[in-house]
Amino acid sequence: MSLARDVMTIAAVSAGAFFFLAGTVGLLRFPDTLTRLHALTKADNLGLGLVVLGLLPQAASLRDGLKLVGIWLLGLLAGATVSQLIARAARHGQLNR
Amino acid sequence: MRGPSGKRDAHTGVGVGASWRSAASRAAWFLCLWLVLAGASLDDIPAATIAVATATWTSLRLLEPGTSRRSPRAILRLALLFLYQSIVAGVDVARRALDPGLPLRPGFVAYPTRLPRGLRRNVFATLTSLLPGTVPAGEEEAQLLYHCLDVDQPVIAELDQEEAALARALYND
Amino acid sequence: MTEFLTVAVGFILAMLALGLLSILRGPGDADRVMATQLIGTGGIATLLLLGTAASIPAAIDVALTLALLATFTSIAFVKKGLSRFAADGTASTEDE
Repeated sequence: MSLARDVMTIAAVSAGAFFFLAGTVGLLRFPDTLTRLHALTKADNLGLGLVVLGLLPQAASLRDGLKLVGIWLLGLLAGATVSQLIARAARHGQLNR
Repeated sequence: MRGPSGKRDAHTGVGVGASWRSAASRAAWFLCLWLVLAGASLDDIPAATIAVATATWTSLRLLEPGTSRRSPRAILRLALLFLYQSIVAGVDVARRALDPGLPLRPGFVAYPTRLPRGLRRNVFATLTSLLPGTVPAGEEEAQLLYHCLDVDQPVIAELDQEEAALARALYND
Repeated sequence: MTEFLTVAVGFILAMLALGLLSILRGPGDADRVMATQLIGTGGIATLLLLGTAASIPAAIDVALTLALLATFTSIAFVKKGLSRFAADGTASTEDE
């Protein structure tokens, strides 16, 4: 039983680390602010979600698990809100106002 | 812990019964949140009561109880669609970032939305910021401007689908 | 399991550092706000992994606080910057 949980943790956390890698590669390679914003918000949010998913089987109690999910939801909401605010600011910056 | 302008009832158009019911359901949600964050302990009762009351009061001031019918099944479907699309979006960005040829055709796409300006349009913009390849970058009159990683993707059709799902779930009036 | 989680922490921290370097050279203010977002998501993931690997339950609460603070920092920063522009209507009118 504990083996199955460990396998799930290793798989999900590895996948999460992969998306953090992809997000950073996107930050390094994408040409301008707005495309880098895509890389940052989308890949990293998925990475965080997978890390949380991977840690759920290791959570000590139901409450700890719910807290983890809550942190992920907060991160998702933050990414969705902040990314459009940054995009607006970047677009105005492009127009040189 | 009361705000400067007292506890005058801000929402006049909504019936008293409905506003009490939404206050009670929000208080129940905040109580659950407290139990998850702080745990259940007898010593916490005064702090928890103050926190839940303040949170409920603040939320009622900032977001008045809605009048439109909400269908739990449509909300669940919207949540699943949202989750699925945020996964697709992450995979899409990862694929483009790691591809040696860097397949990007960035640009802006204007989407004519039927949602009124204000809260509803903002909710829609927030939801769609997690769609694959799009980030809302501002609005011009009845149009939302999206920055896209690939302007050849069927962005408008996807946004249309998302707007319909949102309207079914929350704004079915 | 502890070894694996520790390696994962190191890897994500390295990604975080590289990302911060690339943002540092970014030309505009928007790029710098993105650094807050990056520290937000990457830092939360690191704290959660570290908390589980070293069995420090309080790290989860630290991660939660970081999530809240990073969000409000970004929103405050962008709102302040945005209020310089009049074109976006309601959000910026009070500053004019």
